[in-house]
Amino acid sequence: MSPRRATSGGLIDRSRSIRFTFDGQEFTGHPGDTLASALLANGVTLLGRSFKYHRPRGVLAAGVDEPNALVTILRGEAREPNIQATMLEIYDGLKVVSQNRFPSLGMDVGAVNQLGGKVLGAGFYYKTFMGPVIGPLKGTRFWMFCEHFIRRAAGLGKAGTMADPSRYERMNAFCDVLVVGSGPAGLMAAKAAAESGQRVILAEQDARLGGSANWCDETIDGQPAGDWAAATVRELARMSNVRVLPRTSVWGYYDGNTIAALERVTDHKASPRRGEPRQRHWTIRVGKVVLATGAFERPLVFPGNDRPGVMLASAAERYAAEYGVLPGEKIAVLTNNDGAYRSALALREAGCHIVAIIDVRADISQPARATAVRTGAEILTGRAVTATEGGKKLHCIKVQAFDAATGQISGDPRSIDVDCLLMSGGWSPVINLASQAGAKAEWNERLQAFLPPKDADGWIGAGGFNGTFSLDAALSEGFAAGGGTDAGLLPATSSVDLDIAPAGVFEITGKGKAFVDFQHDVTSEDVRLAHREGFQSVEHLKRYTTLGMATDQGKTSNVPGLAIMANALGKQIPEVGTTRFRPPFAPVTIGALAAERYGEIRPERLTPMHDWHVENGATLYSAGLWHRPMIFGLPGETVEQAYVREARTTREAAGIADVSTLGKIAVQGPDAADFLDRVYTNMFSTLPVGKARYGLMLREDGLVLDDGTTWRLAEHDFLMTTTTANAGKVMQHLEYLLDVIWPDLKVTLTSVTDQWAGASIAGPRSRDILAACVTGTKVDNETLPFMGIVYGEIDGAPVMICRLSFSGELAYEVYSGAGHGTHVWEALIAAGKPFGLVPYGLEALGTMRIEKGHVTGAEIDGRVTARDLHLDWMLSKKKPFVGSMMMIREGLVAPDRLQLVGILSRDNIPLNGGAHIVEELDQDNPHGSIGHMTAACYSPVLGQYIGLALVKAGKSRHGQRAFISDPLRKRFGPIEIVSNHFYDPEGKRMHG
Amino acid sequence: MVDQLSPLTPVLRSGRYARDDHSVGVTLAEVQPGSIVQLSAWPGQQAGILAAIREVMGLFVPGGAGSGVATETKSAFGFAPGKFLVSDQEEGFSVAFADAVGPDAGTVTDLSHGRTVIRIAGPKAEWVLAKFFAVDFSEPALAVGSGISTVHHDIFAQIQRTGADQFDVYVFRSFARSFWNSLRHASEEVGYEVE
Repeated sequence: MSPRRATSGGLIDRSRSIRFTFDGQEFTGHPGDTLASALLANGVTLLGRSFKYHRPRGVLAAGVDEPNALVTILRGEAREPNIQATMLEIYDGLKVVSQNRFPSLGMDVGAVNQLGGKVLGAGFYYKTFMGPVIGPLKGTRFWMFCEHFIRRAAGLGKAGTMADPSRYERMNAFCDVLVVGSGPAGLMAAKAAAESGQRVILAEQDARLGGSANWCDETIDGQPAGDWAAATVRELARMSNVRVLPRTSVWGYYDGNTIAALERVTDHKASPRRGEPRQRHWTIRVGKVVLATGAFERPLVFPGNDRPGVMLASAAERYAAEYGVLPGEKIAVLTNNDGAYRSALALREAGCHIVAIIDVRADISQPARATAVRTGAEILTGRAVTATEGGKKLHCIKVQAFDAATGQISGDPRSIDVDCLLMSGGWSPVINLASQAGAKAEWNERLQAFLPPKDADGWIGAGGFNGTFSLDAALSEGFAAGGGTDAGLLPATSSVDLDIAPAGVFEITGKGKAFVDFQHDVTSEDVRLAHREGFQSVEHLKRYTTLGMATDQGKTSNVPGLAIMANALGKQIPEVGTTRFRPPFAPVTIGALAAERYGEIRPERLTPMHDWHVENGATLYSAGLWHRPMIFGLPGETVEQAYVREARTTREAAGIADVSTLGKIAVQGPDAADFLDRVYTNMFSTLPVGKARYGLMLREDGLVLDDGTTWRLAEHDFLMTTTTANAGKVMQHLEYLLDVIWPDLKVTLTSVTDQWAGASIAGPRSRDILAACVTGTKVDNETLPFMGIVYGEIDGAPVMICRLSFSGELAYEVYSGAGHGTHVWEALIAAGKPFGLVPYGLEALGTMRIEKGHVTGAEIDGRVTARDLHLDWMLSKKKPFVGSMMMIREGLVAPDRLQLVGILSRDNIPLNGGAHIVEELDQDNPHGSIGHMTAACYSPVLGQYIGLALVKAGKSRHGQRAFISDPLRKRFGPIEIVSNHFYDPEGKRMHG
Repeated sequence: MVDQLSPLTPVLRSGRYARDDHSVGVTLAEVQPGSIVQLSAWPGQQAGILAAIREVMGLFVPGGAGSGVATETKSAFGFAPGKFLVSDQEEGFSVAFADAVGPDAGTVTDLSHGRTVIRIAGPKAEWVLAKFFAVDFSEPALAVGSGISTVHHDIFAQIQRTGADQFDVYVFRSFARSFWNSLRHASEEVGYEVE
């Protein structure tokens, strides 16, 4: 038997044992145990070291409010830090280690920080290291030097550097009623809502549903509350309109009643089933939210209140009742309210020795006194604990007379030997989610707590959340929140008649550190120091001291901190106000937010011929979401050798490229031609059926949006092509114009990018190749002139062929249904073999378009006009078009604008896109950029390295020398600025 | 006539990929309609499109966006105001619709090669789809025959409920393989079978 495990009691499965390790030492527990309960059962009270002072820390709470007992879980090579031992269910093989200590938890050299005293108070790093310049010690540099050591000395656990192998998933859900919290109020709400036929989701952050019913000694419907809760959960689980989500923390409340929750699906399992995620993130769209989130017991702030062995009274009660763990042998209780008496009695009945109950109030209620008598404890009213003693565990407390009205301590301290001190400073309703939803908290003087407002939009509260602590009332509120109307259906209850309304005592002042925020090591003196230094707003106090900014988000520290601040300011707590809670309520694993996007952050977009490319040696790279061939390299070829060969062969014989990625938009309807006239700078209504035309599209601000060819397939039917990169942007632009600007036009737009497979076949032999494989039409110059369109078949598959050229060669785009794409491609490859046809990738495509001086997205960068690209010949003067109003705007016709030029490398060294162009070379102090390279390649037809660039007044600089200045890549050298038309400027080849 | 090559061909491997307890929650399959056609009505002309669907396919679509009907071999649903997606196992329906839908009624766009249809069926179909889409797939919200337009990351999807626990998901062909792989991954939790 474990030293602290009671011989009976608790909801754990004592028939089975579980083995786990903590800091390498093996322990055992039982199914149903948390790590905290199992370690306490084994007599382990030291679980961690504090954030700043490295003070030894034990367990303070029993649930999600735990600030101290944070551990790191080891899963193979992955490690997950800052997990609350109180929320971690043990399983066979679980390995956890303590954190923020060196070399060990028991012997931590960081504990020397405790000697720092006031030097390490709030904001110490600002004051200490942001000082003036003294000799070589410049303040900021000194801080930067010290920062490394401070960050090593302070903090929480360390995240691992290995990839997390866990699986995460996301889930969307919809329901009429979401009940958050499964205590008696939450269960009653879920039951009422479900029985009225509503779709209900019940979310509970703990593994076991029932909340306080699991550890209270009350009865519901004639049975122990825990039994009633278990039966109700079983009943709910059987209902088809109810989804019960245990181990699910609702962490965010967003607009439109959109709720974020995290389900720990297999964190408690040694071996998840195949496909089971570790955690599942839920996004729940809810009609009505029932907040039955209960309340957190508050600690009292007194010197030494953080020593291992000091814990919340309700937590101790829960350890005894739910886990059969006795948190101490000799226990004292310090309280400012009656609630702790019930905890004391529960522990007494579980087998603990209650030494004393110390109540800061001079007078206590009769029920409290009667309960105290039953515990057998000495009753010390009008007293307070003013110090604790012990190293890594508590062994003694000091008790002195205390005036609750003035906070004055008097008399000599009396020592009482205890190994556990339970404290209760009242209760704070868990209003975090309501606060996130915009609710303004209201101070309740009787309960000394912030309560949610009465009126709310989208949610309704029940039970402890509302500050309702009697079982009867909680059930009644839950019933009403769930939509129940017949109060006769409410179960009968029996409960202890104790009022938890506390005295307004939050702090007992004395010598020694008294902690307000346990997780960030913020003391009551830090709060007062912040006040003395002028931080009067609660928001400033929070940021200066970091009170409430740790992973627990101030669950136990918020109200005590405000109370101490109010006292320092001489104000009442409601005058000081409170900060608004923000998501997340509880820590959320980043992996759960990424979910299935981990490793698949973007979907792959594949062309119809993708598999052929892979099978035939293409090197692929991504172009947006698309995967496109870069080169079809031969064994031993470099990238440059491959694209030079592909481009040269295309110019000398023929090449074929996959252009399926080009954006394709079906523009259909009686007003389609009119619409195109408006969106393109040039005319399309005059385009005959069966012909294509190159078009230029501007944005409203007159800058170039995109270019491409549009084909007139029928009177009311156009096929617009866009650049691959801008397909989505153009579609959005056009849809906006139709929906908002010209809704009267009868035009529909449909993305047909995926409907068509496109193969561009270019080169002097391309016509011969088509003639060899196309049936049903001729492809001679008369039948298929430049920009003409014909229909035919290739090896039985229907095709549509348009004669157009991006490479500057005689070229055609062959479109087939995407499902026939590979079939047609292979037929073209076979037909082209006798003519020397080669497949080519984007690098060769880019090379040929640079030689030709054609623009792509690299030049159409959102900053250029048509004139900048020498495309002003496309600006119609016969009609208005989108952007036409800007054509004479001064800034857009300025002579020193960046203009498209060609660049020749004059040192025969490759050029790079992005490099600056300067008139005077200064490698040590690069300056004086007159433009930048947009694209570069080795030109097989020119036999040298060339590129395109945007250069100030570029056209007037043709023939001038300049320099490349590329300090990032250390490329400097001479260049010549020339026309962008390097090759066949008259276009004889493509018109041939 | 040349058969269409599915983008799923290299990854669609029939078989049973069950859970450890040998159960499967969903069945995944590719539906390969011969015709997928988009019909768009001009404002006020929806009745003409619905009449054309009745005339060409013999299907009665009761309303506009969201409503639809599905049989074993054909289906139609409104995926946006005035816009409908129809599919049939037979090829060539775009030609028939081009005759039935005049320029005064709307437009006809053939998407037979452009969309891939993935069917997910079984008791856990709603569960698996809910991993991808912020859509209420419960039957009161999405009745048999009904369809919706939605998106998963960059993947636009049109989904029609074609049975009590059966959904047809229309995705762009170029995204089909990526979506299929994601769907298989998401189905591992409940066990799945590929037909």
